[in-house]
Amino acid sequence: MVKNITIFTTKTCAYCPMVKRYLAAKGLSYDEVNLDEEPQRQQEALAISGALTVPVTVVTRQDDSREVVVGYNLAKLAPAIA
Amino acid sequence: MSKRTKENTHTVIMIGAGPAALSAAIYTTREDIETMLVEKGVPGGLAAVTDWVDNYPGFPEGLAGLELAGNLQKQAERFGAVIDFGEVTALHDEGEWKRLETTLGDLYAKVVLVATGSDYKKLGIPGEVQYYARGVHYCATCDGAFYRDKRLVVVGGGNSAVQEAMFLTRFASHIDLMVRSKLRASDVLQKELQKFVDEGKITVHLATTTDEIVGDEDNKVVQVKGTDTKTSSPVKIDTDGVFVFVGLKPNSEFAGGQLETDEVGLIKTDENLMSSMKGVFVAGDIRSGATMQVASAVGEGATAALKIREYLEGHTINVQEEV
Repeated sequence: MVKNITIFTTKTCAYCPMVKRYLAAKGLSYDEVNLDEEPQRQQEALAISGALTVPVTVVTRQDDSREVVVGYNLAKLAPAIA
Repeated sequence: MSKRTKENTHTVIMIGAGPAALSAAIYTTREDIETMLVEKGVPGGLAAVTDWVDNYPGFPEGLAGLELAGNLQKQAERFGAVIDFGEVTALHDEGEWKRLETTLGDLYAKVVLVATGSDYKKLGIPGEVQYYARGVHYCATCDGAFYRDKRLVVVGGGNSAVQEAMFLTRFASHIDLMVRSKLRASDVLQKELQKFVDEGKITVHLATTTDEIVGDEDNKVVQVKGTDTKTSSPVKIDTDGVFVFVGLKPNSEFAGGQLETDEVGLIKTDENLMSSMKGVFVAGDIRSGATMQVASAVGEGATAALKIREYLEGHTINVQEEV
């Protein structure tokens, strides 16, 4: 079971709305960290994902285990939220 | 191989959901021709990841590529187009039906529109794969924000390279534009670029190859090595990241040689935009002879839709009745 989801995004990233739309279609809510508005959190996104890119979706489960999905990657995102 | 069922059978399947396919879908769905689009990435294709589109008619101030893509998608969906997300891996001609192998399972259609567009080419140099998404990027609108007050190299001399280099000045402290031969961007973009050069924000290195991307012990990009082809002398540019825009590679692998292509892999069509496979139409950047512009992709999409309608005349439009 998913406990919470955080998505790191930017305003101009085309793939970010795709992830948000996908999660919304699955009835899942999420927190969004817009790195244009909160540039101080870029290092956090990098540390979590190992990549200088967005979207980065962090799925935390009830047992506090965490799945990090870099980019718009449904093959990884779908099982992560299952 | 799955059998044909009501669920997997469609009148028209469009491979891709870029400007060409979305425009075609607006036309077909308005004609009540049931249409499904299969998209492996983001609707709008390369247009969606382009910062700003200034040469699309009807928008005197220009508009963001993402906004244009979103509007095209909404318009197509308003008339009933259905976009499903998956990848088409093979196409088979089964006479009246075309069978598509996809990550969503087998799909069947009376007519297929191939509008798969193209993707940015890679440089194929040392360091490019190693530092991908950690200093090497192909999408300025996605990844530019990570380079606030950093130095960047942009590789390429065409419209995309120049446009994205200018976009990246929003973030980067300085940009070095490495151009293998000479600038091929449009005159308008070159004039715009000159303003950034005059302001000292962008330095253009003409006749300079990009040979290697170098990182440090922390696995971060620190330098790009190249060669000045006029003097054959080495060029070294210290940088925090590299954005590559060196042309386009057609997305035609899925066709597996079943559709006739030109020497660079673009799909050939006749005057009706039909490929060498009957019932398979082609529009947009993937078509041999295409001009690689959003406006022309939209026009080709509209043309393809009208040709598809003509082709379907005499066929049962509601293919569900045939399942």
